[in-house]
Amino acid sequence: MSSVTKIQPDWWSKSIAGCLLGFTFALAVSGVFAWVGPGGIEAPNKVQFNMWIIAPIWMLILSFSYLFKTGVRAISWLVALNLLAYIILFAVKGS
Amino acid sequence: MKVSSDILKVYRSLHLWTGIIAGTVLFIGFFAGSLSMFKPAIDRWITPPQEVLQSIPIEKYDQLINQAQEKHPSARQGFTLYLDHQKSQHSPMVWFDEAVDREINLDVYEWQGSLNAQDELITQKVLPSALANLIDLLHRTGGIPGGLGHEFLGVYILGIAAVLYFLALVSGLILLLPSLVKTFFALRDKNKLRFWLDAHNVVGITSFPFHVVISLTVIVFAFHDQFYDSLESVVYGEQPLFNRAPADAKDYQFNELLSVDQLLKKSQAIASDYEVTEMNFVGLQGKRPIVRLSLLNTQEVVRGPITDYAFFHPYNGTLINTTFSTETGSAWNGIVATFFALHFGSYGGDWVRWVYFFLGFSGAFLFYSGNLLWLEKRRIKQKKSQSSVVQRKACYVMASVTVGVCLGSMLAVCVTMLLGKWLHNWVDNINHAYLFVYYIIFLSSVAWAFLKGAARSSVHLLNASALAALALPITSILALLPINPDIEVSYLTWSTYLTNSLGIDLVALLFSGIFYYGAKRTQKRAESGDKDSVWALQAEKQTDDRSDKDFDDDFDPNLALPTPRRQREWQTDY
Repeated sequence: MSSVTKIQPDWWSKSIAGCLLGFTFALAVSGVFAWVGPGGIEAPNKVQFNMWIIAPIWMLILSFSYLFKTGVRAISWLVALNLLAYIILFAVKGS
Repeated sequence: MKVSSDILKVYRSLHLWTGIIAGTVLFIGFFAGSLSMFKPAIDRWITPPQEVLQSIPIEKYDQLINQAQEKHPSARQGFTLYLDHQKSQHSPMVWFDEAVDREINLDVYEWQGSLNAQDELITQKVLPSALANLIDLLHRTGGIPGGLGHEFLGVYILGIAAVLYFLALVSGLILLLPSLVKTFFALRDKNKLRFWLDAHNVVGITSFPFHVVISLTVIVFAFHDQFYDSLESVVYGEQPLFNRAPADAKDYQFNELLSVDQLLKKSQAIASDYEVTEMNFVGLQGKRPIVRLSLLNTQEVVRGPITDYAFFHPYNGTLINTTFSTETGSAWNGIVATFFALHFGSYGGDWVRWVYFFLGFSGAFLFYSGNLLWLEKRRIKQKKSQSSVVQRKACYVMASVTVGVCLGSMLAVCVTMLLGKWLHNWVDNINHAYLFVYYIIFLSSVAWAFLKGAARSSVHLLNASALAALALPITSILALLPINPDIEVSYLTWSTYLTNSLGIDLVALLFSGIFYYGAKRTQKRAESGDKDSVWALQAEKQTDDRSDKDFDDDFDPNLALPTPRRQREWQTDY
């Protein structure tokens, strides 16, 4: 990676990364909460709460995606974050 | 607080573009949302007194149900009881010929039932006014027609606008961080632009939490189906999302229905400090009969716009679900109810509803002023290189869109409310008349804004709104006066004072004043402000058709000829 000092706008790549990868990440966080959060997966009416927390997590990731120096960095960091989140999700689902 | 300049640069662009794209539709969403805070009052206001049957004491409701279902078998499928009919101005019992879905219905007549002094059934068939529901629909869709799947297209568009709105909020906050302490309470009147910017900032910062809540809840309201589907396929898998009550094997007879008193006792047992205002019986002859009790408690954070709900089996009395946390039930309902309540302002009673009413309008102001700032800032930036800015076509289009859509939509709602009252006795279906009037006025306003330019049309539209709003209380007064015994005014319309909705008239009067003041100020600005602003009257003749790119590349020396004004600016700049 070259020595990029200024933040590049990279509107398209950062927006797409924040929208898609931000959403999948939020879904995974909500999923982990659904399985290991209070009451576990079978707690009645908890699904509504799980659904509600997707939006704020998603929006925060999207809003701060523009802080990455470049679009490529945004994508690679968010992919890594997603991988981690889904490994945890499938681990708690399987157990 | 220090924020590096390149972060500020990125977030400034983000703030400008998200605001410009989403601003106008959010404006409609916000001001109509403010009005929808008082949906029941709008219903009372627009319903003629003769369309409400007399009230009966609570112990006679069972008698009313029995008599109604004998004469009207369709009532056996389901019906609604209004227990607080005196306050809500509803007939005690309402049912339909055929089962209707809960979404908006413009053509469906309802049956109303009550008892007369001899305890005999009285009924009438009425087309209920959909005005309050249509204002709510305007709030949820921005008035964008059409459907997508089983949802309104406009709901999805507002959902996308809410995403942009969240980005605008975060970026706006980041932009303000470096100078937050210094500018928080500053309202500098040094020049017009500074004043508008300060006002925009103060309103944005003080209502920031409200706006975050609104944007996030709108995203959920628009995309909850997609969220649930994703959760189902990725997270839940085999696990059921919702625990649905199993279908009933037993067939019940209508006369096995629990009495009103029994249901009130059941409600008392789980929610003793709530008052039951409505009982909505659904699917009584199907496999999943249900009765939904609306429970009012102004001290509580409630799930619906006005009340909480409890769902019972109407025959065997089993509690099916509640929208609040009960001692035996789960705590999640109460937590989720909070999210809804934060959007609906349904906590703390009417006091909070008024706060939301004004927050909604301040939000609309935020979008209007944001667009205005963008236009003025461009001009002043260009002024650094030219004596008098020739505004580009794009700026005029943007100014006309902002004025036409924002002011046009408010004018259209005012006129719809006004004509809704006067036309009631003259048209077959008043609900279609509302829609017709709204879209005619709205589209003409947008056309007018393009035809006359932002400066002129905004004065016209504001003055027209002031007149239309003023006509609402005047209508109520006219209906009371026996002007001429030959002309029965009450046949033309009816007075608000008969329907317990004086507040609507008072608010209309207040807004009439605000619109008039706005028109005066805009007129003054158009006549005496900088001539090259999009808000000036003269400048409208010198439109420049060139695109952005042309403008950035070529610098026309003729435009920069030193004028006295220009020289003065140079001296102050350097």
